[in-house]
Amino acid sequence: MPQPRLRTIALLFLKIGNLTFGGGDPAMAALQSEFIRREWMSSERYGLIYSLARITPGTNILALSAGAGWDLAGWSGAIFVVLAVSVPTSVLVALLTAGFDSFTSNRLAMAAISGVIAAAVGIMAAGAYLLIKPHLRRRALKTCVIACAAFLLAAQFKMTPIQIFVLAALAGAFWRA
Amino acid sequence: MNPFLLYLFLVKATLTSFSGATSLPVIQRDLVETHHVLTLRQLNAAMAAGRATPGPMGLYVVSVGYFVAGPAGAVAGWLAMITPAFFIIPMLHYLGKRAEQPAVKSAIQTVIMAAAGLIAAALVPLAKDALASPMLIAIAVSSFAVLVFTRRDPIWVIAGSALVALAIALI
Repeated sequence: MPQPRLRTIALLFLKIGNLTFGGGDPAMAALQSEFIRREWMSSERYGLIYSLARITPGTNILALSAGAGWDLAGWSGAIFVVLAVSVPTSVLVALLTAGFDSFTSNRLAMAAISGVIAAAVGIMAAGAYLLIKPHLRRRALKTCVIACAAFLLAAQFKMTPIQIFVLAALAGAFWRA
Repeated sequence: MNPFLLYLFLVKATLTSFSGATSLPVIQRDLVETHHVLTLRQLNAAMAAGRATPGPMGLYVVSVGYFVAGPAGAVAGWLAMITPAFFIIPMLHYLGKRAEQPAVKSAIQTVIMAAAGLIAAALVPLAKDALASPMLIAIAVSSFAVLVFTRRDPIWVIAGSALVALAIALI
């Protein structure tokens, strides 16, 4: 496998991390094909980094970037790649948020924003559904029981999310469906 | 709230989430319900801002940080977002293929199922705040449908919803 230069690696992540709409999954797929095409890593190595990224807390594509950056160029690779992927979009989000406060006095802007916020509710609901959709087919009973139990524990019994996640992890270690 | 304390709250949320917006319930509990430094409306707006830009869903944490503590808060949010990513390095180093063990795999899978239930619970108050008219309910339902049944990019859903709401306000 050729050893790519740090600048080349950071530029690739800069491009894919900041220009791919639609969340982490399409961006990760794009990175995967670039790695293989440029022969930076075997698809087996990518598979290991990808599956570890899925179980690393936080945002999957950031973990994938840190892991791949480390694999390709050590700690400086990990740090440069995470900066390249996260800084430009973070600045954009902060600017949008700053704009939100100054929009609140304008009636038409507020109408558009309330439309966007309503859409965000639908988008989040879709996100929750898509999270369990692959499991609904293969392990429907377990999925419904766990998701409903988590809903009830949160909404009715006011348990904290972390308590619920610990319970879920324990349940999952024993109940393998 | 000072940015360092805010960072601790946000990193607690990102360190306990495994996919997309599963950090939402923790943030809602800590910042909206317990400490009252963020409103439901702002949390909704942060989710929208996170989805209206390219990049991962987790970006909304930067927006949450900005709402709570201005630019320094946005930096706290950014740091909280990237902190957990580096945990993959010791995992790559030591864990290797043990993550494929059935018990570990099943535990992770079950946490994701629970996360879906938690997001649904967190959505109840958010929806009550955001869906104040039949038109807004229709927008939320159609956004859900578009994302579930098509492979459309969320940016088009967001842009379309803004245009529909704007057009109705003009009429």
